[in-house]
Amino acid sequence: MLRKTFLPAIFILLAYGFAVSEEFKTITAGVAIFLFGMLALEEGFKTFTAGGLEKILRASTNRLWKSMSFGVLTTAIMQSSSLVSVITITFLSAGLLDLASGIGIIFGANLGTTTGAWLVAGFGLKVNLSAYAMPMLVFGIVLIFQQAKSLKGAGYVLAGLGFLFLGIHYMKEGFDSVGQTIDLARYTMTGYPGVLVFAGIGIAATVIMQSSHATLVLILAALASQQISYENALAVAIGSNVGTTITAIIGSLGSSTDGKRLAAAHLIFNLVTGLLAIAGIYQLIAAVSWISSHLGIASNNYTLQLAVFHTLFNLLGIVVMLPLMKRLVMFLKKIIIEEEVQIERPIYLSGGPTDIREAAVEAVRKESIRLYDLAAGVIMDGLSINRDVLESEEKVKRVVKKSTNIVDEDIDDLYERKLKALYGAIVEYIVHSRGGYAEGRLKEELNTIRQAGQHVIEAVKGVKHLRKNLNRTLSSDNQFAIKEYNRLRRLIITVLRDIDADRKTASDSSSTLSLDHLKLQIERKTKEFGKGLDDLIRKERIDVQTATSLMNDITYCRETCWDLVEAGTVLFSASDLEETVAMRALALSEEEITEMLEHGTEEAAR
Amino acid sequence: MKSEKMLEKLKDILSAERTKQLEKYQSLKKVLKALRVEKRRYEEKLLNETDEEARHELASRLKVISKQRDKGLKVLKELKEERKQSGK
Repeated sequence: MLRKTFLPAIFILLAYGFAVSEEFKTITAGVAIFLFGMLALEEGFKTFTAGGLEKILRASTNRLWKSMSFGVLTTAIMQSSSLVSVITITFLSAGLLDLASGIGIIFGANLGTTTGAWLVAGFGLKVNLSAYAMPMLVFGIVLIFQQAKSLKGAGYVLAGLGFLFLGIHYMKEGFDSVGQTIDLARYTMTGYPGVLVFAGIGIAATVIMQSSHATLVLILAALASQQISYENALAVAIGSNVGTTITAIIGSLGSSTDGKRLAAAHLIFNLVTGLLAIAGIYQLIAAVSWISSHLGIASNNYTLQLAVFHTLFNLLGIVVMLPLMKRLVMFLKKIIIEEEVQIERPIYLSGGPTDIREAAVEAVRKESIRLYDLAAGVIMDGLSINRDVLESEEKVKRVVKKSTNIVDEDIDDLYERKLKALYGAIVEYIVHSRGGYAEGRLKEELNTIRQAGQHVIEAVKGVKHLRKNLNRTLSSDNQFAIKEYNRLRRLIITVLRDIDADRKTASDSSSTLSLDHLKLQIERKTKEFGKGLDDLIRKERIDVQTATSLMNDITYCRETCWDLVEAGTVLFSASDLEETVAMRALALSEEEITEMLEHGTEEAAR
Repeated sequence: MKSEKMLEKLKDILSAERTKQLEKYQSLKKVLKALRVEKRRYEEKLLNETDEEARHELASRLKVISKQRDKGLKVLKELKEERKQSGK
């Protein structure tokens, strides 16, 4: 409810602001252009992250002093600590950095970001930034239209900087006008309540704009036009330093545990620094005026003094936090615990290897049937068919025809976490329990079930391969290719359904042998699939590339079906062990099936 | 004849290998019997089926069962021979 009404409420407020105040329009437009510049800049740097930046990152962060210097430098160049922290989080998630190096970069970034205050204080409010912004935008946009990735990236960086400068210009213009009409100085609060309130304003403004630079520019503009007091401006600067962590926090939401830890480190560092600065604000003001007098900064030049203050309190934060770095890492590792990967665990083997041989075989069989069932679900996902179809009586042809949407499941992840993990547990159990067995039927049976499990795994692997081209074809508008892939899907589903049907009626001693009929069907169908391809190419209904993919996928489909039948033959035999062995001896091999098929063709030809 | 049969049974009880062979033989016979029943079931179905596609599938199933039975009967014959050899 709140989420639904939030955006319209903001829009109404903005529209009202635009209607009643020309200055409000200019300031908010400036903020919007500035943020757009941030986006463009980020886009530009993204182009370079995969290449040179990655190598530089590895080489320059292997020691604390290096990672800190790296943080200072990159932030000074990029002019965004948020961007540096977000990039650092991505590198941490990719395992290219360790947490300590990441924290070093963040510490450095906090110092590097103060260069922004110097730039803005030094140039931003004195020169006409739009004069620089325009050529930057023109050159930037021309570069964005280039084909080469590096030029395109440089274009985004240039255009981003252009928009940043343009945004600053508009914000300044807006505040200048406000300054002429309203005297904000009347509302300034003094003492600690004022510091706390304006620090809160700084946090809120930075969280909303997601840029401490934007807040800083706003406050410098307000300070230059004497809208707020110097003391309150410093408090906003402190608040913006805390608020800037929001970008990193948002960036860490989808990242790894280490990414989250880094964002937390960023927040802790900036919070501690902010609290220290608030607690000692009057001492810091005295220090700033002392440093300023030595640097030749005029006592009424508050904008440059704010830059000195920004640098000083961030430096103070580093001095305080640096000795606590190791403790901070330990603390973060303790509070943000690595999420355990959700892997599929065995149910029937959970008691460990049993001494009762028959019970062990039964447990392995039951667990392997579970593996088969899980795999059947993953196969259905892979084929982009609803899993319920296996249970339904709807005609396969109809089901496949109407299943045109791609099922958005991460098959590779399911394969790794569920199937491979469970099969691994089965193999481990067999290996450990087999030690106690003498040569005999039970040992043979365990091995056979193990092979059946391997067939299940291979079947899923086949579908994983097939899925790539299947999804591409389903998204295309080539009805002929879709029809061919639907035939492959139909065959796999028919096999799965027939195995299921056979399994339900597996009461007599010949039931598993009826799966041999499926083998014949698989061979006949896959041969037919291949035959029609030449004709489709000749009539230009599918291109050669699609045909080649189809040929490969027919093979994957055939292998998947065979693997499923082989697994089903072993796993779903209901009779006793001796009968099962006898039954398997009668199951037809691949050669026998091929022979039957050839014989059948000859008969038909006669 | 009666005493010959009794002697065979005694041999089966005393020899572990022969017991194993016997078990195998009997299991195979049981499976072959089940296949025969199934074959008859499909033959009856085929007689009553009019749909061409269904008839084709039933015929194909019958072919597979026949092939399995042929294979089984061959193995059964071999087992019988083995039993005879080990009984001497």
